[in-house]
Amino acid sequence: MHAYQEILERAGTGKYCTEEDWDLEKVAMTTRRIVEEYSLSWDPDQVVPNDPAVADAVFEAGLQLVRELGAYSRTTERIIDFEAGELEAGISAVPQELTMGEGPDARTLYSRTIMDERPPLVWAGNPGAPTPERLFLPIVKSWMQEPIVDLVTCGSLSEVDGREVRTGDPTEIIATRRELRYMREGLASVGRPGMGMLGAQSSVSELGDLAVAHPDYLRQSDAHLVPMLNELKMDHRNMSKAVNSIEYGMRNASLACVIVGGLGGDAPGCAVVNVASFILANLTCLADYHICHPIDMRHVATSTRRVLWVQGVVEQAFARNAPCIIVSDIYPKSGAMTRELLYETAANAIAITVSGGHLEGCGSADGLLPNGTGLEARFMGEVGHAVTNQQLSLGEANTLVLALLDKYEHLFDRPQGNPGVAFDLAYDMEELVPVPAWQQMYEEVKAEVRELGLAAL
Amino acid sequence: MSEAAGLLGRIRKAIVEGASTDAEQLTQEAVAAGVDALDILNDALMSGADEVGAKFESGEYFLPELMLTGRALKAAMAVVSPILEQRTDRSTEDTGKAVIATVKSDIHDIGKNMVASLLTASGFEVTDLGVDVPIKEIIAKAQELDADVIGCSALLTTSMPFLRDLIDLLDAMGERDRFIVMVGGASVTPEYAVHIKADGTAPNAMDAVKEARRLIRAKRENGGNR
Repeated sequence: MHAYQEILERAGTGKYCTEEDWDLEKVAMTTRRIVEEYSLSWDPDQVVPNDPAVADAVFEAGLQLVRELGAYSRTTERIIDFEAGELEAGISAVPQELTMGEGPDARTLYSRTIMDERPPLVWAGNPGAPTPERLFLPIVKSWMQEPIVDLVTCGSLSEVDGREVRTGDPTEIIATRRELRYMREGLASVGRPGMGMLGAQSSVSELGDLAVAHPDYLRQSDAHLVPMLNELKMDHRNMSKAVNSIEYGMRNASLACVIVGGLGGDAPGCAVVNVASFILANLTCLADYHICHPIDMRHVATSTRRVLWVQGVVEQAFARNAPCIIVSDIYPKSGAMTRELLYETAANAIAITVSGGHLEGCGSADGLLPNGTGLEARFMGEVGHAVTNQQLSLGEANTLVLALLDKYEHLFDRPQGNPGVAFDLAYDMEELVPVPAWQQMYEEVKAEVRELGLAAL
Repeated sequence: MSEAAGLLGRIRKAIVEGASTDAEQLTQEAVAAGVDALDILNDALMSGADEVGAKFESGEYFLPELMLTGRALKAAMAVVSPILEQRTDRSTEDTGKAVIATVKSDIHDIGKNMVASLLTASGFEVTDLGVDVPIKEIIAKAQELDADVIGCSALLTTSMPFLRDLIDLLDAMGERDRFIVMVGGASVTPEYAVHIKADGTAPNAMDAVKEARRLIRAKRENGGNR
């Protein structure tokens, strides 16, 4: 019997708990107590954490939270308990290297260290952003063609053949298969057919995921999402996705979208919950690697001070205590053809790279609109490479990120956000290059960031 | 300070601190001491809830504090509601019964939980059906409870069609005018709400409560018609 069946068994037989009690009495109250026990706090002017003791304490606190709580099955309303030894075995067994894709286009992900001299891998795409079919292929090709890009992902098809896609409906199967066909077509057309990808983004339920577990769609060397639900929860839909990888063998990307300001409270509690999610995901999601995507409860974006700190401290906590592959999402508030999109991207890319993460993005305009392009993905990669080329320290990174925050933080007070424009207004659709105004903005911001101190950019 | 004022202050403090047991016991004590139930509602419960809302808006409080206050208010309201119901003229009220859910196929609930907590904190009687709820079940519960408001959330673009299905089904059942339908979620815009003929939407939980109150007032002033 595969060990996962034991987890399924526990989901069916564990202690009963209402979801409200799980959220409030278990997650919120236990996290609050543990944060006090470990005296965890954060400083909004230290958005790139620079204290190893804090990173270690966040890790220990997260481990304690998992030991005390376990996971919760939303389907069965039961608690899935784990022994300490099982959690440690999960930490030990998680891959330190993972090859994605095939042939000359393959790339190897690796667990990064704090201020690692090696560059982060550049995983380009706007994961999950709703995308109309007419824009899908040109959008993904806009980042597939960028030489700095190592791996790719995509948005979700919001309509297919002019018909809206519904989750859990036969249209989800059509959309997910169509998405994978476009991804294959795009990679072939830019001459990189073997490039690895995170696919099946159009599959919210298990239906689409099941429908593409085939070498013609999602290869064994590609990845799919197996999310943990907020907070520390699984359900049978997502457990089905984990099971779908058994025997077939595609890479499992665990995804924790911890809500910063949510059940964990302020940033330190949310970092603790994020650590706990990853430790659990080694077992519940059969994680090959982890995607770190804290969401700001008020502003959504990953570029807020709180989220920058949470991402950084979680990456550092694992780099020091339980090395594993962490790919961190960049979801800026702003969209294409805005300078702020580039400032936000730079801030996130700097903080992630020095703290031990790989880069994935950009989910421009909060990932809510098809307002992302290959240009900001290029910029994300260039910034990440510059950080390692320059051997930026945590302190230097913090100074730079604070300077960038000055340039975009005002956006968070705007009720309408800063969505920019759709892809087809930012790119020449024939040549698939940025329109001159967007290209010029990129050149100017790049020079500005260089001036701010990232000289290697 | 009079005994009544002292009790109201302590109830208010319990609400702000989210202390459920204290809120319930102190409210019972206040009722037994002859404090007017309407004073308890306005000067302790709503006033405390307003402070919590302001702290949440300013970033001082987070979701757990909001949920604890919601729970404390529910406990205190269970004491004063029966008294208030005997004397309340509903035509001037701007709260009521709300059935709230994340629609079928969507399992995101943080936004929905915030709205539910704030509605409760504002004096609404909230029935939260949870996530991934079939639209027929939402309508059946609203009918059973004779709800004033149906509040539906969909975070995913691919779940939003179920919001429209709910309104279409109410129409087909001849029940559309009976309920105020509010929709919300990260991808739901005011334009989309108008497009599917919802009665209202809001960009955040605080505004959702204001919008629900406004819609209820308008409906009651209009003799029960939307």
